[in-house]
Amino acid sequence: MTRPVTDDRSEFLKGTLDMLILKIVALGPIHGYAISQRIQQISRDFFQVQQGSLYPALHRLENRGWLGAEWRATDTGREAKFYSLTKKGRKQLEAEMANWERISDAVALILRTAE
Amino acid sequence: MTWLSRLLRKGKQDAQLDSELRFHVEQQTADNIAAGMSPEEARRRTLAQFGGLESRKEEAREARGTQFFDSLIQDIRFAFRILRKTPVVTAIALLSLALGIGANTAIFSLIDAVMLRMLPVQNPEQLAQITFLSPTSSRPRASVTNPIWEQVRDHQDAFSGVFAWSPEMFDLAEGGEVNNINGIYASGDYFDVLGVHPAAGRLLTASDDVRNCPGVAILGYGFWQSHYGGAQSAIGSSIRLNGHYFPIVGVAQRGFFGTDVGENLDVVIPICAEATLAGKDSALDIRDDWWLMMMGRLKPGVTVEQAEARMKVLSQPLFSAVVPQDWPAKDQDRFRKFTFGILPGATGTAGRYGLRIQYSAPLKILMFVVGLVLLIACANIASLLLARSAARQKEIAVRLSLGASRARLIRQVLTESIVLSAAGAILGVLFARWGSALLVRFVSTQKNQVFLDLKMDGRVLAFTIGIAVLCGLLFGILPALRGTRIDAISAMKEGQSQSSGGRSHSSAARWIVAAQVALSLILVVEAGIFIRIFANLMTVDAGFDRNNVLMVEANIHNAGIAEPARAPLYGQMLAKLQALPGVVSASQCWMTPLSGGQWDNNVTIAGHPLPSGVDPDTLLNWVTPGYFETMRTPLLEGRMFDARDTATSTPVVIVNQLLARRYFGAQSAIGEHLTGGSQGMLRQPMEIIGVVQNAKYTSLQEVFQPEAYFPLSQIKGVGEGTAFEIRTAIRPSSLIPAVRDTMASVNNLASLQFTTLKQKADDSVAMEHLMAVLSGFFGGLALLLTAIGLYGVMAYVVTQRTHEIGIRIALGAQHSSILRLVLRDALIVLAAGIAAGLGVTWIMRLVMQALYGIKSQDVWAISLAVVVMACVALVATYIPARRAMKVDPMVALRYE
Repeated sequence: MTRPVTDDRSEFLKGTLDMLILKIVALGPIHGYAISQRIQQISRDFFQVQQGSLYPALHRLENRGWLGAEWRATDTGREAKFYSLTKKGRKQLEAEMANWERISDAVALILRTAE
Repeated sequence: MTWLSRLLRKGKQDAQLDSELRFHVEQQTADNIAAGMSPEEARRRTLAQFGGLESRKEEAREARGTQFFDSLIQDIRFAFRILRKTPVVTAIALLSLALGIGANTAIFSLIDAVMLRMLPVQNPEQLAQITFLSPTSSRPRASVTNPIWEQVRDHQDAFSGVFAWSPEMFDLAEGGEVNNINGIYASGDYFDVLGVHPAAGRLLTASDDVRNCPGVAILGYGFWQSHYGGAQSAIGSSIRLNGHYFPIVGVAQRGFFGTDVGENLDVVIPICAEATLAGKDSALDIRDDWWLMMMGRLKPGVTVEQAEARMKVLSQPLFSAVVPQDWPAKDQDRFRKFTFGILPGATGTAGRYGLRIQYSAPLKILMFVVGLVLLIACANIASLLLARSAARQKEIAVRLSLGASRARLIRQVLTESIVLSAAGAILGVLFARWGSALLVRFVSTQKNQVFLDLKMDGRVLAFTIGIAVLCGLLFGILPALRGTRIDAISAMKEGQSQSSGGRSHSSAARWIVAAQVALSLILVVEAGIFIRIFANLMTVDAGFDRNNVLMVEANIHNAGIAEPARAPLYGQMLAKLQALPGVVSASQCWMTPLSGGQWDNNVTIAGHPLPSGVDPDTLLNWVTPGYFETMRTPLLEGRMFDARDTATSTPVVIVNQLLARRYFGAQSAIGEHLTGGSQGMLRQPMEIIGVVQNAKYTSLQEVFQPEAYFPLSQIKGVGEGTAFEIRTAIRPSSLIPAVRDTMASVNNLASLQFTTLKQKADDSVAMEHLMAVLSGFFGGLALLLTAIGLYGVMAYVVTQRTHEIGIRIALGAQHSSILRLVLRDALIVLAAGIAAGLGVTWIMRLVMQALYGIKSQDVWAISLAVVVMACVALVATYIPARRAMKVDPMVALRYE
């Protein structure tokens, strides 16, 4: 079963990937694979993360100090790298969410008025 | 995790990243299997979805921010590999760089030591030199009299402390040949104000410098080490200076050399000790003997301008208090109008012989010369790298198609260049140490030895690193840009001879060589000019024959002989010298030629006033009858001094041709009368009895000036110092032991200093010699580098056109037409380069004229340079041209 990833969806995704990752990690420590599954799940398959582009984003966020990481054992016994939200990351998430709301409100306003 | 710690733990993190991604892949694969795919299909899907595991890893690594350093280290390792692969090319490049960077560093470290470095004392930026200005002159004068110094010391309030000093040579020997050491007279506060500490014992204090002091001595650190082995027992022992003993009370700190750049400090004694050493001739109370220099330390918060303003206010009362009483009223008024001035003193003063003044222009010229040589060397390396990048086109094309970014490749090529230039710089530094020490030795003459601490301080190091990086970028940028700008596919397909990239390479290389030719031309012209200046000086008619003359400077102060007995003593010495075997003739005089000293005064001729604007200043000298014969200065008219001229006979004088022409024109000067100024015995009119040829007085470079000679027998007030000239039949220095013994037999307390006239002449042109040798060397080096560059480019061009030449030969072209083809190429480059070089030279002449007022129409040097350049270029082109002629058409046509 192939799941096509359309172009405009992934474009949209690039700009908001950081925010989505932060939101998901906010719910609790989680490793990379689970994050990509979760994004797919929660968005009801709307967003399909190019598996590869997840990791550069994760490392970038870790670099900036918004995510913390530690190696833990999973339930299968394998060791995996679990990410969690730092205090800085939490603040960044709140800022981005507020920004997003403002943008979507403005766009909605324009769309309604343009009718 | 900080950035640095991330850098250090790179290895571990790579492993972690690997593990993290592998985990993801495994999970996804497991899920795929659970969804019903076969294990192989599941894995394949996963990897496909991942989109290139390695590049994802790369992206993740990039996100971490240590990417730059990782790739840098990679580049450096690669650069070393590439450089090792072509050892000959690398060796040539390294050698040229080492010479170029080394020469630049050597000259710069000299400039640093002579002009830029601050004195090794406490807070040197607070120091300032106190000068004064006469109302009739615009040049500040640095030397003052002792009365003026004492006034400043007692009444100034513009500085937190002031001191005075005077450099002097002291003789350690007692009679016989002198053993001079460098010393200074210093005021009591000298060390205090400078902030110098003792390395042993104590230093001068104010109480050491009072009138009628017994005197103490402070040793310089180097002297303490070399003469006393650094032993503590030196403190408390005595040192004999000019026949007088002084107790040594301390040693100055290591590295302190005084305040005069280029001088060294062996011993310091207080100013009051001058009375002991000079006796009756002490200058301590003389109001017109200018021998002391002054410096002060600014008060905190006070600027140089403020201190200068304050000193100007103090000028009038201070100077008026010490006006020389025996001066004419007009001159006394001028004296009272002297005003003090301040010069910054952080980098020290110009030294007794004006090292800084003398050498600042030559050093700047040399800096320019070595800068050009370095540019030429860089141009060569650029050509080499350009050719090599042409050869690497396939490799670069492959890399580009594999996904390397052009910026990344450019960075890699630049890294290679910088590694090369860094290696060249390290070699260059070694060469520079040797080179600058050699230069200093070259410049040190017998009389003026130069002492410079040529250590590599921060400034010189920064300079070396700076030009190394600059060079690396300079010769790397062109190959980097050109080499990576290629159409990947066509580059991989085409052969070397047909690639358009190759053609553009050769045109770039041609431009580079043309630039080299231009720069070399400039340097060769400079070399020609300097060599000619030096050659002229060496062959100039000095008015005397400088070969085979031994000079003896004698001082009988230690013998304590009263004035009336001195002239007979000298007569005895002269007679004995004249009788020595091997001596052709001997004479005595007051001022030896080319000694750097000068005695001059205004003269007047009765009945023959000078036209206004002509300077009546005349150079003077006392000589014995045999002087002109010994010096081989031709007598043009009248007679020389002889036994007729005694202390009681008519006062007579011999003048030189310039003076005679100036006052008398075509008429004879014999019989006219000359008065030498308004003071002393020169006031009486003297009869001109002879005219001699013009002779150089202070230096070989000067223009001839009017000269007047008086007979020694008519001098009133014979001094304690005199000089003998001995013309020898054999080598002058071989006569030194005999002369020493002869002088000792007359009076063994006389101190003697030996030199030859030839030595003095050579010393006086030391700088011109230096410039000629160095500019010649660098001009030759530039020519060699350009020839190599030209050869390389021409060889490359011929290789490029082998195919074409093969066709031409197959079609029946003569060898001569092939030769013409290749030569025409070279000629265009040569012509462009020479034209550019001439243009720049012409512009530089204009600039020099505007800035320094130097006018030099050295057409001879320029045309010779052009001819030399053309010859060198043709030789360099000949070999590739011959190769072109020998091309076998069958081979060439098959050549890909």
